[in-house]
Amino acid sequence: MPGPTIFAMGGGGFLTEPADAALERYVLDLAAPAEPRICFLPTASGDPQGAIVRFHAAFDPLPCRPSALDLFRLHGRHLDLRAHLLEQHIVYVGGGSMRNLLAIWHEHALDRILPEAWERGVALCGLSAGSMCWFRHGITKSGGPPELVPGLGLLPASNSVHWSAEPDRRAAYVAAVAGGLEPGWGVDDGAGLRFAGTKLVEAVSARRESGAYRVEHRDGSAAAEPIPVRQLGAPNSGVHVPPPEVVELRELRAARRGR
Amino acid sequence: MRERAPRIVAFGGGGFSMEAGNRLLDDYVLALTGKARPRVCFLPTASGDADHYVVRFYQHFGSCAEASHLSLFRRERGCRLEPRAHLLEQDLIYVGGGSVISMLGVWRAHGIDATLREAWAAGVVLCGLSAGSLCWFSEGMSAFHGEPAAVAGLGLLPWSNAVHYGGEASRRADYHAALAAGMCTGYAASDGAALHFEGTELAHVVGSRPDARAFRIGAAGDGVVETELAVRFLGEPVLTFVAA
Repeated sequence: MPGPTIFAMGGGGFLTEPADAALERYVLDLAAPAEPRICFLPTASGDPQGAIVRFHAAFDPLPCRPSALDLFRLHGRHLDLRAHLLEQHIVYVGGGSMRNLLAIWHEHALDRILPEAWERGVALCGLSAGSMCWFRHGITKSGGPPELVPGLGLLPASNSVHWSAEPDRRAAYVAAVAGGLEPGWGVDDGAGLRFAGTKLVEAVSARRESGAYRVEHRDGSAAAEPIPVRQLGAPNSGVHVPPPEVVELRELRAARRGR
Repeated sequence: MRERAPRIVAFGGGGFSMEAGNRLLDDYVLALTGKARPRVCFLPTASGDADHYVVRFYQHFGSCAEASHLSLFRRERGCRLEPRAHLLEQDLIYVGGGSVISMLGVWRAHGIDATLREAWAAGVVLCGLSAGSLCWFSEGMSAFHGEPAAVAGLGLLPWSNAVHYGGEASRRADYHAALAAGMCTGYAASDGAALHFEGTELAHVVGSRPDARAFRIGAAGDGVVETELAVRFLGEPVLTFVAA
């Protein structure tokens, strides 16, 4: 088994953008087996069936053994949650309400089971609420306006997501760090941070324009500095050129959106 | 605000989400409000705010009430309602079924537990089925996770509760075992039966089906005593014509 691993994405992935497929492949590579068991936890969005369908659509064709754990519909499954999660190689947490995610996990004891799984080498990953939950603090919009909430605290840092896409969340995060919150990272949709134990190993991105930012307290305010990001699909190169059919598809989509 | 005892109507199962075409329990709780067009807010939390459930609520209540719903999962999108103020101005709060454990966790995270207690004391009628019944009691029997287990509710009603009672023999056995092990005295209702409490006391038992059943159950000595309660059928008497 590999050591404790977390991969925290700012957004995107199979739930929003097919062009982020490189993130799915990166997630599967977090685990050693050729066909890892990967369990999707859509808790933060209330376990909608649509998210589970999209998860299977994204992962079923890939070399893995995917399943979804729907905490709202355990009816008659007689499932031992701890045993089920500990036998996974990867746990993938979807986005939604971070406040609800942690409240529901607490009721089902996943706030104790998932740290145990992490220590035993189950790779934990997720996006949005499913990213911030691994840190000491995140900036949630679970209640409407952005606000600071505690996460599980496996990583001794703070985290905010949808960095470029949501200026209000970004501003709340920068203000919190300026006000004394522990330093951390702001991450764009389509990008992610990989940690071995509690140490950042690398930042990666499936989109050319997506980045990650180190946010630290400095002289009474907060400074956000971009960190190096490896573009997925073009190993060890700073520039990712998508294949022609992807470019064509993106142009087609943009035209449909009237841009 | 009128002075009257707080009211809760706890369905063992039934209403728009379980009894298509049978409006009897839903009409009963609407009538309790005393309003021609009551304000009714649906809380679909126990289903994870499932879209299909919310749609069915509006299909059913949209024509006869000022219907709204409160989503606690998608507050950043669309819904700008301030939960406490909105809940307190309702005539009826209707809680849907699903996972009672997940629902109570989410309610606590948003302070909805305190608001519902406040609404109840202020005269807002509270009702619900299944998880939306168990939540009002001190304790309940949840079979949601496969293994039946005792769960703590909000405790507005100082009793225990079991729902969908009578459908499966194991529910009865599990509830009896829990009572024998120290669970407080309580009430069980089948699908189609509703327990109407005024304050913390049971005032009426009504049914949407002639075969709906309800029981008061408590530990006595080494055993459990189960007393069947009379259920008033809310429908028209069924006339049967037999060809001679």
